[in-house]
Amino acid sequence: MAAFHLQIVTPDGLKFDGDSEEIVVRTVSGDVGILAGHISYMAPIAVGELRVKRDGAFRSAAVSGGFVSTDGKETQIICTTCEWADEIDEERAKKARELAEQRLKEKLSARELSLAEAKLSRAINRLKVSAKR
Amino acid sequence: MAGAGMKDIKRRMKSIEGTMQITKAMELVASSKLKRARERMEQAKPFFHILYDTMARMATGTRDFESAYVRPRPVKSSCYVIIGGDRGLAGGYNTNLLRVANAHMEGKDVKVLPIGRKVADYYAHRKVELVPYEKTAAEDIHLSDSFAIGRLLAKMYDRREIDEVFVIYTNFVTVLTHEPAVLKALPLHFEVGSDAKNGVGTVVYEPSVSGAFDMIIPQYLGGIVYGGVCESFACEQGARRMAMETANDNAQQMLDDLGLRYNRARQGAITQELTEIVAGAEALK
Repeated sequence: MAAFHLQIVTPDGLKFDGDSEEIVVRTVSGDVGILAGHISYMAPIAVGELRVKRDGAFRSAAVSGGFVSTDGKETQIICTTCEWADEIDEERAKKARELAEQRLKEKLSARELSLAEAKLSRAINRLKVSAKR
Repeated sequence: MAGAGMKDIKRRMKSIEGTMQITKAMELVASSKLKRARERMEQAKPFFHILYDTMARMATGTRDFESAYVRPRPVKSSCYVIIGGDRGLAGGYNTNLLRVANAHMEGKDVKVLPIGRKVADYYAHRKVELVPYEKTAAEDIHLSDSFAIGRLLAKMYDRREIDEVFVIYTNFVTVLTHEPAVLKALPLHFEVGSDAKNGVGTVVYEPSVSGAFDMIIPQYLGGIVYGGVCESFACEQGARRMAMETANDNAQQMLDDLGLRYNRARQGAITQELTEIVAGAEALK
């Protein structure tokens, strides 16, 4: 299967730099699969799962924020956070989920509400992805 | 009287020793901060470069100027994010940065968003409109702050309060070379002809051109600011360490010189006393 070059970067460093056969990424308008030779494409990504296929096997990561861009040969995923399923700290994610759930029961301003909701969705996403390891 | 000269020299040596203790301590602090700042910078570097290159490459493939972020428009007001140091005593670090900034801003109607206390202080006393952000110390600007600044800039650009965004920071070339750099962040309009080979065909955006850019641009600006802060902070620490190293060397040199002069003065005093005693004894004969 034809491969393309994939780079995943976060402010904490270059997370992945190598060839991939297929990726499936959750953009704001839904899951998008990218294969080699994809047309030039760019979309913001949502909090969700990223799946990277290499040597025939998929590997999952929890990502949040940022965007994906490709020109068919080079693909970049530039995101705020990215953790492979086996790197996720489940305890921490569980705690974050509980905290965010509690927070959502309080009376919050619109800004606090959206912050708490974002925290909750990131925590749920991490737990969902880490369950797949 | 030679004795008084000795006292003066002693006093100067004491004061130089005192200064040297301070510069030595500052050098140590800067060294350890530099180590951490460099690690952070090395981590952020690929993010910074890939982010900028990707945006530049994709912008060459944008034929659709539906989004205001890619469409050039007449410039009335330019916004400069100037990233400098929090404190002085860092050699030419702040001066070089501000010189480049002022040269670039000359003759333009500008708004400045200062990062770094020194930069904020400098522009507070000049006739420049400042863009307020709750934090000014470069040391306190973390990733979340950078994204907040990114959103702030995107909002201002969207409201047409500003028509251009530049980021001025110091580039960490090597430990010894730091260069102030000007980065044009908005509007995203890059020369198509310059690297037509690397340019991409027409780019498809989802959910739509303006929808994609509305979401991507604030993050892109935040990422650029974060990258600039990481580089600049490492430069500040590097420049301070270098300046303090030089200060230490100079102090040591002065101490050595003064030590020689002190010994000479003491020798002179002894010789004089001896001469006086001998002359006195001669007179008694």
